[in-house]
Amino acid sequence: MKHYIPYHQLPEGGIPPPVTIYGPGVRWWHWINGLLVLVLCVTGYFIGVPPPSALGDPSSLYIMGWIRFLHLASGYLFALLAIARLWLTFVEKGISHHLFVPAIWRAEWFDGFMRQIRWNLLINDQPKRYVGLNPLGGIAMLLMYVLPGFIIIVTGFAMYAEVTGHDSWQYALFGWVTTIFGNTMDLHVIHRLAMWVMAGFVCIHVYIAVREDVMSRQTMISSMLSGERQYRR
Amino acid sequence: MADKPTFYDVFRQRGVSRRDFLGFCALTATYLGLGPNGAASVAHAMQTKPRIPVVWLHGLECTCCSESFLRSGHPLVSDIVMSMISLDYDDTIMAAAGDQAEEILHDIIRDYRGAFILAVEGNVPLANDGMACIVGGRPFKKKFEETARHAKAIISWGTCATSGCVQAAKPNPTRATPIHKLVDRVPVINVPGCPPIAEVMTGVISYILTYDRLPELDNRLRPKLFYSQRVHDKCYRRAHFDAGQFVENWDDEGAKQGWCLYKMGCRGPTTYNACATIGWNENTSSPIRSGHGCIGCSEDGFWDRGPFYERLPDMQQWGIESNADKVAAAGAAGLGTAVAVQLGATAIKRVMKRGDKPDASATQEEKETQA
Amino acid sequence: MTQTKTPNGFTLDDSGRRIALDPVTRIEGHMRVEVNIDGSNVIRNAVSVGTMWRGLEPIMKGRDPRDAWAFVQRICGVCTGVHALASIRAVENALAIQIPTNANTIRNIMHLALYVHDHLVHFYHLHALDWVDVVSALSASPKATSELQQSISPWPHSSPGYFKDVQDRVRKLVGSGQLGPFRNGYWGHATYKLPPAANLMAVAHYIEALNFQREIVKIQAVFGGKNPHPMWLVGGVPSAINMHATGSSGASINVERMNLVASVAAQSLAFIEQVYIPDLLAIASFYPEWFKHGGGLASQNLLSYGEFPTRANDDSNASLMLPRGAIVNGDLKTLHEVDLRDPAHVQEFVPHSWYRYPDDKAGLHPWDGLTEVDFRLGAKTRQTPDKIEAFDESAKYSYIKAPRWKGHAMETGPLARMVIAYAGGNARVKELVDGALGKLGLPLTALFSTLGRTAARGLEAQWAAEQLVEQVAYLQATIKGGNESTANTEKWSPTTWPATAKGVGFCEAPRGALGHWLHIKNQKIENYQCVVPTTWNASPRDAQGNIGAYEAALLGVPLADPKKPLEILRVIHSFDPCLACATH
Ligand code: HEM
Ligand code: HEM
Ligand code: NFV
Ligand code: SF4
Ligand code: SF4
Ligand code: F3S
Ligand SMILES: [Mg+2]
Repeated sequence: MKHYIPYHQLPEGGIPPPVTIYGPGVRWWHWINGLLVLVLCVTGYFIGVPPPSALGDPSSLYIMGWIRFLHLASGYLFALLAIARLWLTFVEKGISHHLFVPAIWRAEWFDGFMRQIRWNLLINDQPKRYVGLNPLGGIAMLLMYVLPGFIIIVTGFAMYAEVTGHDSWQYALFGWVTTIFGNTMDLHVIHRLAMWVMAGFVCIHVYIAVREDVMSRQTMISSMLSGERQYRR
Repeated sequence: MADKPTFYDVFRQRGVSRRDFLGFCALTATYLGLGPNGAASVAHAMQTKPRIPVVWLHGLECTCCSESFLRSGHPLVSDIVMSMISLDYDDTIMAAAGDQAEEILHDIIRDYRGAFILAVEGNVPLANDGMACIVGGRPFKKKFEETARHAKAIISWGTCATSGCVQAAKPNPTRATPIHKLVDRVPVINVPGCPPIAEVMTGVISYILTYDRLPELDNRLRPKLFYSQRVHDKCYRRAHFDAGQFVENWDDEGAKQGWCLYKMGCRGPTTYNACATIGWNENTSSPIRSGHGCIGCSEDGFWDRGPFYERLPDMQQWGIESNADKVAAAGAAGLGTAVAVQLGATAIKRVMKRGDKPDASATQEEKETQA
Repeated sequence: MTQTKTPNGFTLDDSGRRIALDPVTRIEGHMRVEVNIDGSNVIRNAVSVGTMWRGLEPIMKGRDPRDAWAFVQRICGVCTGVHALASIRAVENALAIQIPTNANTIRNIMHLALYVHDHLVHFYHLHALDWVDVVSALSASPKATSELQQSISPWPHSSPGYFKDVQDRVRKLVGSGQLGPFRNGYWGHATYKLPPAANLMAVAHYIEALNFQREIVKIQAVFGGKNPHPMWLVGGVPSAINMHATGSSGASINVERMNLVASVAAQSLAFIEQVYIPDLLAIASFYPEWFKHGGGLASQNLLSYGEFPTRANDDSNASLMLPRGAIVNGDLKTLHEVDLRDPAHVQEFVPHSWYRYPDDKAGLHPWDGLTEVDFRLGAKTRQTPDKIEAFDESAKYSYIKAPRWKGHAMETGPLARMVIAYAGGNARVKELVDGALGKLGLPLTALFSTLGRTAARGLEAQWAAEQLVEQVAYLQATIKGGNESTANTEKWSPTTWPATAKGVGFCEAPRGALGHWLHIKNQKIENYQCVVPTTWNASPRDAQGNIGAYEAALLGVPLADPKKPLEILRVIHSFDPCLACATH
C-alpha cells in the first residue's frame, strides 16, 4: 500500500486503476467504532432524558444502571479506539492520515472543496475523483467527528471523574476541565451538544456515503469493506 | 494569655466531667475521621488553646449564612461564640455599633496582625467604584481590603463569597466579585452553599482550632472533608436512580414513594456538598428529602444553569435561551430539509434531463472549470 | 434650610449638630442613620440611608417564572422564605393556578414557624442588648435572679445554681479580656435601667434562646428540606404525603415527620409563653418612657396586606387570619381596603433614591416599576477624600425606594398587624394585647412607640405559636379525612401558559407588608418588582417631602450621650430593620 498525499486529484478522462486506500486496521476500526458511537448516542441520550419509570422493587431493577454501565464501558472503548486510530495513521499507509490533516494549504484542496460544494448544490453535474477523502467530506469529518469526539472524550472523562472521585486518575488527568468551567453542569451540556453534532455527522455521513456510492464516479461503501477504491467513468 | 479560658475550662465550667470531656473528644475525632490517635490530639488541643479572634465581615449577601451558622447543633453556636473563638467583630450580632464597632476592627488589626481569622459572608461589588455597598461612608471594598491583608486566613462563607451567588447571576449589575479573586498571599478557604450547612461551617472552624492547621483543600479551595463528593453519590434515593424509577410529576406515586428526582431537574449529580451525608438542621432533612430536587446551590454559577426543573439547562451563560436538545432539534430540522431539497432537486433534474447524455454535459463543465 | 414642615405633619430642623451612626449593627444588612440634635441633644432631623444594593430585580428578567422563588428568596436569609412565598403566589396569581388545601396549610405552618423564629431571635439577639447591660449581670445575686425568674414564669431553668453557672461563664468571658460580640458595647450607659438580677436573667435567656431557636426552624426543614432557604414550589409544596401505604417512610411527610413537627410546635409555644413574653413584660416595665418615644408614623398610618389564608386560594379578609387593610390619620375605626392591582394604591418614588425614572417626580405602580441604578451624591454632601461624613438628604441619599400607599408614607410590621387585627375585632389578638397592656398598666395608644412595637412583636410571636400548633393539627385532620394532595400540576408545563400574563403575590413577612409584582411574556419573566416591608419603614423622603417611618420615629428622641447613641439603636431596632430586603 502506498502513502497518498491528501487530496490527490485524478485525471479527468478514462478509468484509473483501483487503488488500495484503507488497510484492515482502519476498516475494522470504522465499523466497530461506528457501532460504539451508536450505542453511546442511544445510552447518552437516555442518560440525559431517561425512559419512563420502571415499576417494581428497586433491588431487582437496574435500568439506569445498565444504561450508564453500557455508556461508560463503550466510552472507554471509544476512547481507546480513538487512540488506536491515531496510532494507525503512523503504521497503516493509504489515506489513514487524511482524517486528521486536510491539506487546506494546497490550492488543489480549495478547488476540490468548492467543486464538492457545487456538486452538492447540484450546480456541477459530476464530482471529481480522488485518491482519498474528498475535501468537503474530510473537513466535515474533522469538524463534526474528530473535534466533537475529542471534546466528548475530554468532557466524558471529566464527568467520569465525578463518579470515581477526586482521588482517581480520571480526576488527576481531567480535573482541570471541571476547574475551567466551575460548574460541571456545563460539561453535561457540552458533552451532549457534541453528541448532537456527531449524530448530525453520522446522518449526513451515511446519506452521503450511499449517495456518492450511487451517483459519483468512485466506490464508497465497498471501499470501506475491501479497502480498495474503484473508479467509474 | 494564661487567664484566657481553654475549651477544657469551658467544658468544666459547664459541669462536664473529665470523662465526658474525653468522650466528647473521641466523638469529635471519629466524626472528623481521625483514626486511633485522633482523640488524644483533640483533647490536647482543647485543653491548651486560647480563643482565636475572628472578624466576620458582610458584603453583598442575604445574611443567611449567619443564620445557618446559628443553627449549629454540635458544637452549639453559643459554645463556639462564647468559648471556642472570640467573635470580636460581626455586624449582625455585635453589641457595639457605629464608631465603637469600627474601633474594634482597628484594634484587632493592630493587636492580632496575621493572627486573626477573617470570615467573609457575601462578596465585594466593584461596579461604580464599589459604591453598591457602603460601610462607614466608604466602599466596603476598602474595608475588606484593609482587613484581609492582615488576616491569618480567610474563610469565605457561602456561595456569595466563593463565587458571587445570586447577585452575580446574569447580568451581575453590581459586578459582585468573589473573595478569592480579590486576595493574594492570604490563604482562602471556600465553604460554598447557599447557605452552607451549619455543622459544615462549625466543622471547618473546629478543624482549624483542633489541628491548628487549615483543612486540606481541593483545587477550588474547598475543604475536601466536606466537599469531595456529590450529593448524588450518597443520596438515599440513589437506588431509585439506578433502577430507573423517577418522580415524573409533582405529588405522583413516585413522589409518594420517594423515587429519584432526576427528571424534576435534580442537580445532585453535578453538586458537591454534604447535604446527603451530614444533612440539614442536625440531619432533620435535606432538599431532596423534602421532595424537591437539589438546585446545586454550592456550585459556581448555579443560578445561570436553570431552569431548575429541567434536567437539561438553558445555555444562558452562553447567551442561548434554549437547551442542548432544542438546539439540536432545530439543527436536525435544517439538515433534514437540506437533504429533502437535495433529493427532490436531483430527481427533478433527472426528469428534465431525460433523453440528454448526462456525461457529455458533465465533461463540458469540467473542461470549462479546468481552463 | 433650617426648619421645614413635612406634608405628613413632622417638623425637621437640621441646624443642630449632625451625628452619624454607621454601621447600624444588630440588623440585617448595611444601613446608616444620620441625625441632627438640638442644644439639649434631642433629635430634630433624621436621615435613614440604605447603603447596599444587589440588583435582584434586573437579574430576574428572562428567567423561568417557576424558578423565581429561589432567586428572590435570596433577597434575605433572615426572613427566609417570605420572598419565595410572595413569589410563588405572584406566579400562581398570574397563571390562575389553584393550590390544594394541604399546600396552603403547609405554607401557613412554614410561615408561622418563621414568625416565631424571627421574632424570638430579633428580641434576644438583635434587640435585647439595647435594654440589657451584660456587664451589670456580673454583679447580680444568682439567688435574687432565681427569685425573679420564679416570680414571673414557671420556666424550669431557674435555680440559683443555674444562674451562677451562667454568671461564671460571662465572668470568665469578660475576665479573659476577649469579650467577643459583647466587646465595646454601651455598657454602663446612663439609660440602662434594669437591676442586675434582671440583666443576668436576660443574659441567661440570650444563651437559651440562641440554643433553642435552631429547633423551631426544623419545622421548615421538614417541609422544605432545610433552613435557611427551604424549597418551595409553584402550584403547591414539593413534599408529598404518604401516611398509610407502602413507601411511607420514604415520603417527605409521614407519621414520624408529623410527630417531629407537632413536637417542635409545642416546644416553641412553651418557650414563647414561659420565656419570651415574661422577659418582654419584665424588661418593658423598667422602661416606661420608651412607651412614649419613637412612635413616628405608628399613631397615623398603618398598613397590612393580611396573611394566613384559612381557605386555600381565598385571600379575602373572610379567609385571612390577620386582616388586610390600611389605617390612615390614626382613625382606627376605618379600615381602608388595599388593592394591590390598583395603580393608584401602591406606588414607588425615587427622587431621593439612587435610581432613575423617566420622570423623577412621578410614582410608578410596581407593574410598571423600573430599577435602574443611578448613584449620585447631592451637592451638600460633606466628605473627606477618605469617606463620606454626611449625606445630603435634599438630593438622592439611599438605595431604598420610597413606597407610598395612595400617597401616604406608612408603617408596616407586627405593630401594624396587631393594631389592624385589634381594630378589625380579632378576639385572640385583642385578648393578647389587652392582657399585656393591662399588666403594664398602659393604654392602647402606648403601642405607638418604641417599646409598643417591640411588645406587639412579642405578642404576635405568641399568637403565631398558638396558630402553629393549630395548623399542624388541621393538617393532620385533613390528611385523616383522606386528602393527601399537595400539588396542582395542571399548569406546570409552560406550554399551558398564555403568551402574556401579569400577577401579584403578597404576604405579611415578619417585618410587614411584602408584595411581588411580575409580568410573564413568552414563558419568561418580563419584569419583576418587589416592594418590601423595610422599603416601607426605612423609606427615604418622597417627591412631596413626606418622611418615612424610621425618620419619623427618631424625631424628638433625646440622647443621653451623643457619642454613644444607644437611643437611636433602640428606636431603629424596634422596627427590626432588614436592609438586604429593603433594597434587594
Ligand atoms: C456511527 C457511525 C459512523 C461513524 C462515526 C463513521 C465515521 C467515519 C469516519 C471517521 C470515516 C473516515 C475514515 C477514515 O478515514 O479513517 C468514515 C469513512 C467512511 N464511512 Fe463511516 N461512520 C459511521 C457509519 C457509517 C456507515 C453506516 C456507513 C455505510 C453506509 C459508512 C460509510 C463510510 C464510508 C463509505 C467511508 C469511506 C469514505 C471514503 O472512502 O471517502 N459509515 N466513517
Ligand atoms: C460518541 C461518544 C459519546 C456520546 C455520543 C456520548 C453522549 C453522552 C450523552 C448524551 C450524555 C448525557 C449528558 C447529559 O445529558 O447529562 C452522556 C453522559 C456521559 N458520558 Fe458520554 N458520550 C460519549 C462518549 C463518552 C466517553 C468517551 C466517556 C468517557 C468515559 C463518556 C462519559 C460519560 C459520562 C461520565 C456521562 C455522565 C453520566 C451520568 O451523568 O450519569 N461519554 N454521554
Ligand atoms: N423587610 C423585610 Fe424581610 C422581612 N420580614 C421581607 O420581606 O427581612 Ni429580611
Ligand atoms: S450564599 Fe446564599 S445564603 Fe449565603 S448569604 Fe449568599 S445568598 Fe445568602
Ligand atoms: S434525587 Fe437527585 S441526587 Fe438523589 S439519586 Fe436522584 S438525581 Fe441523584
Ligand atoms: S440545593 Fe443546596 S442545600 Fe444541598 S441538596 Fe443541593 S446543594
Ligand atoms: Mg423593589
